[in-house]
Amino acid sequence: MNAPRLGGTTIGASGGTRRRFLGSFANYAFALPALVLFLMFVAYPILWVIDESLNPADGAGLSMSAYSAVLSDSVFWTALWNMTVWGVITIPVQMAIGGLIAYFIERHTFVLRGFFRTMFFLPVVTSVSVVAIVWVQIYAPYYGVGQEYLKYIGVHLSNSPLGDPHMAIYALIVVNIWQWTGFSMLMYIAGIANLPTEVLDAAKVDGATGWRLGLHVVIPMLAPATRSLLLLGVLGTLQTFPIVQLMTVGGPNHASEVFGTFIFKESFILNDAQKGGALSVIVLVLALALSLIQIFVFGARLAPTKGEA
Amino acid sequence: MRPRLSAFVIHLALFVVLAFWMAPQVYMVSIGLRTPAQAFDAQLVTWPMTLSNFATVLRDNPLGRIFLNSLIVTATTVVIVVAAASAFAFACSVLRLRGTLALYTTLLTTLMVPIASIVLPLAVLIKHFGWVNSYLGLIFPYAALGVPFGIVILKAFLDDSPRELFDAARVDGCSAFQTYWHIALPLVRPALTFVAIWQFIVSWNEFFLALIVLTEPEMKTLTIVPMQYSGLYMANPGALFAILTLVALPLILLYVLVQRAFVNGLLSGAVKG
Repeated sequence: MNAPRLGGTTIGASGGTRRRFLGSFANYAFALPALVLFLMFVAYPILWVIDESLNPADGAGLSMSAYSAVLSDSVFWTALWNMTVWGVITIPVQMAIGGLIAYFIERHTFVLRGFFRTMFFLPVVTSVSVVAIVWVQIYAPYYGVGQEYLKYIGVHLSNSPLGDPHMAIYALIVVNIWQWTGFSMLMYIAGIANLPTEVLDAAKVDGATGWRLGLHVVIPMLAPATRSLLLLGVLGTLQTFPIVQLMTVGGPNHASEVFGTFIFKESFILNDAQKGGALSVIVLVLALALSLIQIFVFGARLAPTKGEA
Repeated sequence: MRPRLSAFVIHLALFVVLAFWMAPQVYMVSIGLRTPAQAFDAQLVTWPMTLSNFATVLRDNPLGRIFLNSLIVTATTVVIVVAAASAFAFACSVLRLRGTLALYTTLLTTLMVPIASIVLPLAVLIKHFGWVNSYLGLIFPYAALGVPFGIVILKAFLDDSPRELFDAARVDGCSAFQTYWHIALPLVRPALTFVAIWQFIVSWNEFFLALIVLTEPEMKTLTIVPMQYSGLYMANPGALFAILTLVALPLILLYVLVQRAFVNGLLSGAVKG
């Protein structure tokens, strides 16, 4: 992309109407790079999947057959259920652990504050492919360290939970929580650091201390951060792919299938662009609907900022 | 509880939780430091340690080249995202060009698009442009997917800036570009830093597109090589985990270096209740 070329144009330039028109028109160059990127690599692909999902390979005109094929496929319902479980568990758990850690770091540490903030965030910056292989090793029977330590609390497994159809999805969820709790922590740190001290002091004067201060003053005041995390959590859940692809490939026998792995299988392994497209459209509509509901009904924001989103 | 005692208990608790949280990373490094005889021991840390795995994998694999691939793709993406997002936010928030607010809302839908649902057309598009196994095949899609988040952050920042600054620039005869370059960009610097670092993390670790676009071994990025090595070094976990450590290390080190700027950027623009 070229940098916008804008020599000589002025903001709402004074001078003749013609100059002002040219000036403001040239100013659109500022918006152009972002717009071109969006049209080519987001809008066009979306239109492409919609088109592809409606056009059978044999060229027999428009058809909804791919959608009925998806909806009658039991794997789709497994994936939908897994995504629901994923969101319902990971989002609140990451919020709770991340929020508690953030609260104690911000309110009770001074010298080591930067150290704790950084260390708890490291899993977020660790490449997911590394995370996947390390956790496969942790879960492994005989030589995996996870199973070894679970024995101390009386849990004996004979196989890797990743190979068990009833446990695979939960084993993956644990990894997701481990990796992303640091993100929730950081969002809450931003919220806590910006809490008005006068309100906290006033609450303390009124006798709210310790747990009561946290429960009745801090948590309600962190509602904007919580709403952002809920929105980002839902979107993140629907984005889930690498961790599952790398650790179970959606198995065993589709037990841990998520939308990402299902789309990948249909589109790239089975080369069924029509079904893959229909699936993509369904996930896209789901993501848009869930986001818009949160934005307009709950006033959630996409980013931890003061601006509208 | 007395304040000093409670501070001690809280620090202790944080260290205990942290120890659990760091266990997977410790385990990773520790397996990389093992001799073949200890490689399959079900223990977090074993003695004695050896660096021979690291020497072996660095000698036998083009990790430098792969690191360079990641660096080129990521750095270019970051530059494009920062430039395009700040320019758009400027057009929308400062110049207030007609139609840009509607465009802003449209661009935001990008944040709601799961990559999985557009990865197939992106693959087709990249093939059409002849960008398979080329840096461009990752740079442009990453930039397109990253720009909207940058716009959200930077626009909020600019919306919050004192309007008089921009009015004064206009009165003084600054061109739009001069205003953007000399006033808007320095003003939003903490936010720019935040956006750049976050984009760096996201692009560096992106997996789905990289898996599809990069098939030639010498073009691969750090994120996708652990997969191929997990097969190659199946019987030699020491070597595999040495590679994993080397793959994870650059971004961890970078984050430690820039974390202060990253958190400050987040704090300066963050939720105020």
